[in-house]
Amino acid sequence: MKKKQGRQLIELAVNGEAYELAEEPQVTLLEVLRNDLELTGTKESCGTGECGACTVLIDGEPVLSCLTLALDCRDLDILTIEGLAKGGDLTHVQEIFLERGAVQCGFCTPGVVLATTALLKATSRPTDYEIKKALEGHLCRCTGYNKIVEAIDKVLTDGYLVNE
Amino acid sequence: MHLPRFTYKKSDSLEETAQLLSRYDTGACLMAGGTELLPRMKYGLAMPEVLISMKRSPVSSPKIGSDGDLVLSPLMTLRAVEGSSLVRENAPLLSEAVGLVGSGEIRHMGTLGGNLCQETRCLYYNQSHSFQFKKPCFKRGGDICYSIPKGKECWAVFMGDIAPALYSLEAKVKIMSRDKTRIIPIEGLYRGDGKKPLILSPHEIIGEIFIPGSNGLRGSAFSKFSFRGGLEFAVLSVAAVLDMEDDGETCRSARITVGAVAAAPVRARCAEAGIEGKNISDRSLSEAVRQALDEIRPVPHHGQTSGFLKESLKVQIRHALSVAAGRVKKD
Repeated sequence: MKKKQGRQLIELAVNGEAYELAEEPQVTLLEVLRNDLELTGTKESCGTGECGACTVLIDGEPVLSCLTLALDCRDLDILTIEGLAKGGDLTHVQEIFLERGAVQCGFCTPGVVLATTALLKATSRPTDYEIKKALEGHLCRCTGYNKIVEAIDKVLTDGYLVNE
Repeated sequence: MHLPRFTYKKSDSLEETAQLLSRYDTGACLMAGGTELLPRMKYGLAMPEVLISMKRSPVSSPKIGSDGDLVLSPLMTLRAVEGSSLVRENAPLLSEAVGLVGSGEIRHMGTLGGNLCQETRCLYYNQSHSFQFKKPCFKRGGDICYSIPKGKECWAVFMGDIAPALYSLEAKVKIMSRDKTRIIPIEGLYRGDGKKPLILSPHEIIGEIFIPGSNGLRGSAFSKFSFRGGLEFAVLSVAAVLDMEDDGETCRSARITVGAVAAAPVRARCAEAGIEGKNISDRSLSEAVRQALDEIRPVPHHGQTSGFLKESLKVQIRHALSVAAGRVKKD
């Protein structure tokens, strides 16, 4: 077997900050975020694209960081759960999730909050069906789905505020 | 879970990918969205030496070709197909099917071509084997089947949702390699063999997808059954197209394709023939469902029995046909 490729230099833009890293080809974005950048808010669960726990926003779109190679993330704008709150102020979505108890063990919460944020940026007044459709790839093992949907309904009745 | 080591190449065009695949021979693998290949690599089911990434490569927009066909790039993400008004107007069945693939995140990543080229699946095959199963199954190069213990061959099932829709739309695909291209009907892409479901050689990729336009009254519907929505693959899927005579009541031609029952999508040809030339009514649709159930024998999968899948199929086909009949209009 031929010698495998070594590390390659990449520049990543995560939560508005630029990082220069040297990564091997098989390293996923999830591994970079958690191990190299110590942004452990992004969770690993199934590792095969079934659960949505590792969701991050790349150029504003929710994607699975466990199935994204770090080398494929050059020049892309990556947002993790740590990048939502600005200067310690939680976003409206995060506040309402807390207030409405839409967090139980919290393992799926970063992915759900990011997917919700992306949904509300793309669709100003999503229907219940659209909310459930946007979150269908997020497995909550505490089965706290109703509280999550209720929290998003509350965000909508409050009038969605983009906290930027 | 970690990925095995490989050499990474980035490609920005299908032509460049075809060149690279030819250069690296069987050791290379194309990755478009990565939602199919990377889990397989994590499970040790695929071990390419060279991975050619086409992630976020430039993609040509959908267009109507000179002969009226809707032409799609295989590199379009499923989300892009779902959001395309041209696709919605010219192939509403495809729009509907694409919207039901996986979760939102999967649709933002996965591509049309990747969905068509996915491997067949099975509960026993699609997991890490090192600690559970001593002997490899047929699909791993061994000689036993865990899914059907007395099976003499691989019984893995093709569970993609886009292929059944394209069967019913009578789509064609362009297959390209470094030296030549050929255009084949979508049915020709699948061998019907669980162990090796695609006809593509290691050097070949899908270049374009063509969907013929419809001139006349048409109703179509896609019906998918899964236990956990976007968290898993289809237990069953049905794509139905009813082309009608100008009176809007007589069926000129019908195409009913069932997915996730075998190693390739299956057309219910007797049911199609039975419904053609008839008025669409509760009775004729029920008769079509009965004929379809006579000709389709679902392979047990998802831990379900063939009997259960057959009962479910009855519901899904009837639902798809009723919805398609209700949508008959010029599209």
